[in-house]
Amino acid sequence: MTAALLTLADSRLPAGGHTHSGGVEQAIAAGLVLDPRSLEVFLRRRLTTSGRTAAGLAAAACRAAGRGGDRPAVLAALDAEADARTPAPALRQASRQQGRGLVRVGRRAWPSAVWDDLPAHPHHPVALGVAAAVPGLGPTEAAQAAAYLSITGPATAAQRLLAMDPITVATVTARLGSEVDDVARAAADPAPADALPADTDPLLDLLAELHADRGDRYFAS
Amino acid sequence: MRTLVEVVARAGPGGRTVLPVVRASGQLAVRRTGPTTVHLVATAFGPLGGDDAEIRLVVEAGARLAVRTVAAAVVLPARGESPPSEQRVRAEVAGRLDLRPEPTVVTAGAHHRALLHALLDEDAELTATEQVQLGRTGEQPGRWTGTTRVERSGVPVLHTTVGLGPGAAAWLPPVAPRAYASTVHLGAAADRATAEDAVRLPLERGWVATAWGDRLTPTLARLAPLEGGAPLEEALP
Repeated sequence: MTAALLTLADSRLPAGGHTHSGGVEQAIAAGLVLDPRSLEVFLRRRLTTSGRTAAGLAAAACRAAGRGGDRPAVLAALDAEADARTPAPALRQASRQQGRGLVRVGRRAWPSAVWDDLPAHPHHPVALGVAAAVPGLGPTEAAQAAAYLSITGPATAAQRLLAMDPITVATVTARLGSEVDDVARAAADPAPADALPADTDPLLDLLAELHADRGDRYFAS
Repeated sequence: MRTLVEVVARAGPGGRTVLPVVRASGQLAVRRTGPTTVHLVATAFGPLGGDDAEIRLVVEAGARLAVRTVAAAVVLPARGESPPSEQRVRAEVAGRLDLRPEPTVVTAGAHHRALLHALLDEDAELTATEQVQLGRTGEQPGRWTGTTRVERSGVPVLHTTVGLGPGAAAWLPPVAPRAYASTVHLGAAADRATAEDAVRLPLERGWVATAWGDRLTPTLARLAPLEGGAPLEEALP
């Protein structure tokens, strides 16, 4: 089962995550990320807002995937919760693109009828919850994958854009490891859909919308 | 100290709004100050750490209600290890609700939690503002956590939690604002818009606009151009 978690969190999984910078590209343009120290601040900021929210949704979707007949309705309701927690159009689009990419590879890697119960173009955390449940992972592991991915994608993007030393960037993400675990554990606590984490950062919303207006960007978001 | 406010607005004869229920206990009193307007009046200092206030608003179909406060709320810590203070606004809206309290100032050592939970009917309209300043002049910032959840016909349209101040996980320099202002409107759609430290995001038949900065007055000035679409209920006849 652990191998499935490693697969989900592996940047080589061709789910399309590598085309998104998680706001880092615009943060660099705004002068907010320029070195390992400011990158760590940015990643912590992301982990504790959109990362925590994604982790809660992924855990809830993982639980829902194990349910019976009302599974499509519960997954659709969680997708609506994800929408309400992602008001920025650029972030909505990025989340749905990555959700679709994950479904495409997940369906082939772990065939199951559960995939058919996802809404069309699901948000990434909701798809991630299903992608965790199908190979037998639990809600906490779904949350761990979501929290971890909330910082590793942006870290890799920063490394490429700033030509940073890969060992330094790996050190930054490794140092955040225990915080990733803490966020995932807390976000995986069972809660009604309307009480799932909704932490948000208006700065990330603004960066995402400014980024969407640029014609010279390398990353989709 | 526990505070409970209840106001029900109902469509009356001739298109007027009547208020069959106006009740308050604890640290807030309610005064009717216009045909469709009530002001909340603080009857004590605070809120203090540990205080709990719930404001229940019901605006029935065809009714209009504007809710104001008479002065900024200055949140003070309790003596010793201060627990957070909390204020919950629970609104059920079928008519039109316009909720614009004066700013909340969170003094050093205090932590205030603000919750707005609004359940809207299909044809309801809502405008709700939140204005926060962390710390009085020359004072260290306090901490504020605000959650907004709006549902229309049972479907969530906005659910966000913003944490500000020392100890909030994402309140990290260089972007650690001491002033924050946000307006959510459901009724008429508006496009997304960006400005300096300000952003407006579209919602289904509505929008949410947010601005932040060091001081509240310039922050409100940067938010104002993004709020153009919000109809203001007349506060006075």
